[in-house]
Amino acid sequence: MTDEKVIEIINTAMVEEFELDPEKMVPEALLYEDLELDSLDRVDTVILLEKAFKFKIREEEAIREIRTLGDIHRFVIEKLRSLKA
Amino acid sequence: MTVAEGIRCERRGLSQTGGWGFWSALLMNLWVYPGLVLLTLFFIAFFPFLFPLTKRLTRWDTGRVVRFFIWCYGRGWIALCSPFVRFSREGFERVTIPRPCIFVVNHLSFFDIYCMALLPMSDAVFAVRSWPFKLFWYAPFMRLAEYLDLETIGWEGTLSAGKRILSRKSNLLFYPEGHRSRTGRLNRFHSGPFRLAVETGVPVVPLCLSGTEVLLPPGKWWMKPAAVRLAVLPPVDPRHFEGPLAHLELKKQVKGLMAEKLTEMRGHHGR
Repeated sequence: MTDEKVIEIINTAMVEEFELDPEKMVPEALLYEDLELDSLDRVDTVILLEKAFKFKIREEEAIREIRTLGDIHRFVIEKLRSLKA
Repeated sequence: MTVAEGIRCERRGLSQTGGWGFWSALLMNLWVYPGLVLLTLFFIAFFPFLFPLTKRLTRWDTGRVVRFFIWCYGRGWIALCSPFVRFSREGFERVTIPRPCIFVVNHLSFFDIYCMALLPMSDAVFAVRSWPFKLFWYAPFMRLAEYLDLETIGWEGTLSAGKRILSRKSNLLFYPEGHRSRTGRLNRFHSGPFRLAVETGVPVVPLCLSGTEVLLPPGKWWMKPAAVRLAVLPPVDPRHFEGPLAHLELKKQVKGLMAEKLTEMRGHHGR
């Protein structure tokens, strides 16, 4: 799966589940401030990603460092690469 | 056209002719705002005497008694506005509201909270943002009524407080959009109320409110005569939704039902 495809899957899933404005789905968008996600959405994002990419990430420390949409993209791309390796 | 006819015309939601809209709105603002101040002072002055009496007579807990008084205050506001605003309820005769339940209602105006006195029951704990708690004349009553300050306690705190309230068979009321809609269309829904419903198995009762965006739009202080309607939809059972994202599915279904009903309600007014 290409990086572009991964980004597309993430953005589509988040737009659909959290009713986000597709125009706001830029990598630098802050999850709380720009996309107006709340703490529960953050938990749901993890479940959503696990469901979309069939991996387990809820115990990973790196999730706590995620601030922007671009951080999510990078995290998932790296995770998929590490699983492949 | 007389002033009374102009007001009646406004109340029917019809377009204004001959500038009566301005005069009826002026009369309304001169009547409702001072009336609301007097009503508030009356409740604050008599609450210390009426509260222990009501508590003794009903044997309700403090929160429930205060919620009853807040509901009465809302009914007072409705009576105050009624020469200029036509209030109506829909569906309450057909829908059986379970107890407890989680009400979710769309948000259009500052006065939406007051309109919840149109509900046929007084025992609903409101979950609201922080700013209403900063209104010093309301804050003590809101705290006594156990209203939830979403921004201060966060969603996790709201969920645990919500479970406690539901376990006592009191109802909860949320504005899932969080903010007033400035377009009349439903904004994004927060998932908190739906997660609470899934975790507790308590049904969600959607409420659709229309007309308050005409009465007092966001960011305005100038009230206008309007027709305010509160419709109740059949309860949605969260047990029909499964999986780790069941609450999001429940949210989508409830929002879809509300959007459909609101479109119908607005169509009815020709807006």
